[in-house]
Amino acid sequence: MKVIVRSLVIALAVTGAVASTFVSATPAKATVTAKTSAMPVPTCPPGDPDGCGLGTW
Amino acid sequence: MASISFLGLLGYLEISLCVAALCVLIAKKQWTDYAALGCFLAVRIASDIVLTCIHRYAAAHPLRIHALYYPYFYVYWISLAIESVVALIIVYSIFRLAMAPLKGLQTLGMLVFKWAAGISVAVALGNAFAPHQKGIDLLTSAISQLQRTQSILTLCLLLFVCFAIQPMGLTYSSRIFGVSLGLGMMSTNDLVQSAWMVLHPRMATTYSVINGVVICVILATWTAYFALPEPKRRIIVLPTTSPFLRWNQISQALGDSPGFVAVGGVPPELFAPAELEVMRRASLKMVTPFPPQAEARATFSRAV
Repeated sequence: MKVIVRSLVIALAVTGAVASTFVSATPAKATVTAKTSAMPVPTCPPGDPDGCGLGTW
Repeated sequence: MASISFLGLLGYLEISLCVAALCVLIAKKQWTDYAALGCFLAVRIASDIVLTCIHRYAAAHPLRIHALYYPYFYVYWISLAIESVVALIIVYSIFRLAMAPLKGLQTLGMLVFKWAAGISVAVALGNAFAPHQKGIDLLTSAISQLQRTQSILTLCLLLFVCFAIQPMGLTYSSRIFGVSLGLGMMSTNDLVQSAWMVLHPRMATTYSVINGVVICVILATWTAYFALPEPKRRIIVLPTTSPFLRWNQISQALGDSPGFVAVGGVPPELFAPAELEVMRRASLKMVTPFPPQAEARATFSRAV
């Protein structure tokens, strides 16, 4: 039990560290993140003519 | 299309689980210890309900999508900023609860945490204020940086709680561990999601479904941890030579305010008349270190 939980926690931490490194190494303009939620992320600016596809999922 | 409707169902399930977790937290009288988590759930419920209503209204009125996107955008990002700040407070409160038996280390750790969190947030927000960032980009970038910082701090907390859980007298069934585990899963998912969004910057993607499943698992975990009875904290036994114990004693002494003593320049007006009288009588009773000259001479002649 102890080994399983510790492995899970280490896996979570390593995955987070790798993802964070990947984002930091991205040369593109500032990357956005989003919350863990079933609500889709509004990635377009507010004036988007198509409303970023709101109401279509 | 199937994944789209599944996403909608996940949205409803998320709201239901949030309400369930909040109700169980309040019903079990855990609000005092987990008030920050309760606030987090309350903010999430409110924002999810508003976002779902906007989405449903937009689906029913396709011509108004352009206008409806404004409230969706601002509600989403403002709620994300609030949740990031509240999540930092949750991390702080979990650390405080975990370290409760060792008051000295708790005080020291909380002081270090405040400074580390303050500096991290300042650096993260400073990075967002790049020259090419303006307006909305600046807002989203600053909130994203804040959330990334909070995710990293949360993962650090999870590692700490996982490895220090036995010396703290806790078990893996403790609510402190359950809340930390849920937060850790959320933080990892946030970081992975931000990496995904670099490659697929669209509103509803496959990752939205993964997101929905992950949040439902997290909320179910929290609900289960709060619904089930928590095992009592074990007695913490440390050897007398333990550096843990020694550091705790040192940390307890660090915060003490020292006593002060007046060494000079004290005017007599500072003392009460009764105190002055006591001092006068005491000085009369004191043995004179050097007897008067006449008395000394008489003593000397008697001796001769």
